[in-house]
Amino acid sequence: MEPIRYVDLLIERYSAAGFPPYEWSVNDDAPLTALEKPLSQCTVTMLTSGGVSKIGMPGFDPKARNDFRLDAIEMTADSRHFVINDSYYNHEDADRDINCIFAIDRLREMAGRGEIGAVAPRLWSGFMGRIYKRREVIEQAAPAFAQKLKEDGVDILVAVPA
Amino acid sequence: MCISTGRDLTVKVKPPRSLFLNFPMGNTFGKSGDIDTQTQVLRMALDLVVTARQAGILVDAPLQWPTPFTLDLPPANREEQLKK
Repeated sequence: MEPIRYVDLLIERYSAAGFPPYEWSVNDDAPLTALEKPLSQCTVTMLTSGGVSKIGMPGFDPKARNDFRLDAIEMTADSRHFVINDSYYNHEDADRDINCIFAIDRLREMAGRGEIGAVAPRLWSGFMGRIYKRREVIEQAAPAFAQKLKEDGVDILVAVPA
Repeated sequence: MCISTGRDLTVKVKPPRSLFLNFPMGNTFGKSGDIDTQTQVLRMALDLVVTARQAGILVDAPLQWPTPFTLDLPPANREEQLKK
C-alpha cells in the first residue's frame, strides 16, 4: 500500500476544527557526521517520543502541550516495566511489547552479539508530541540533549518518533 | 538515525539519515513478540548509519505490513487543542 499521507490528513483534521494550516518544520538540508569507527565499536542509544515511562514514574500527559520532559532510562531497565500514555497512535501492540516502538531488548541483544560496541548507560523517552516551540527545541532542548549524549560517549542515536 | 513510520513528515524534517517503515504508527519495529522483524529493522537502521554517504538520505525499508491500515484518530477537539 502507499504510505499514509499524514500531512494531508492532519491538515484536514485540524481545518475541520477551525485551525489554520499547520506550519510544518521544513529543512532543505541536513548535517551528516561520518562514523569514525566500525559499528562493532560504537556506543548506541535510543530515544522514543511515544509517551513511554517507567512504572513508578508519573505517566506522560497525552493532552500536554509543549512538554519538554525527557526521561533518562537506565540501560538495564526491564522492558516489561513500562507504560504508554499517548492518544495519538495505537499502542495496543506496544503495550504488550515495548520493543514495537522502543526496541531496547533488540539493542541489548545486538551488543551481546558484538554487532554494536555497547548500549549507552542511558536510554531516553521524551519530547512527546505537540511541541510547538520550535526555537526552544533548536536553541535549548536539542543542544541540552546532545550534551547528555556526549557525556555518555554516544556514537549513534536511534531516534524513533511516534 | 531516525526510524520513521511517517514518510511525508520525515521528508519535510529531513533528519541526517532515515529509514522508513510502511508500518502503522505504534509498530515501528514490527509486531508484538516478532523478535526477528524487530531485529531486522534495527539492524537495517544501524547499517544505514554506516553506509549513508548523502545527508538527508531516506531509505524505504523493503518490508510490508501484512494488512492495510489507516490513521485512526478521533476528530480534533478545538478546546482541548487550545488548552495550555
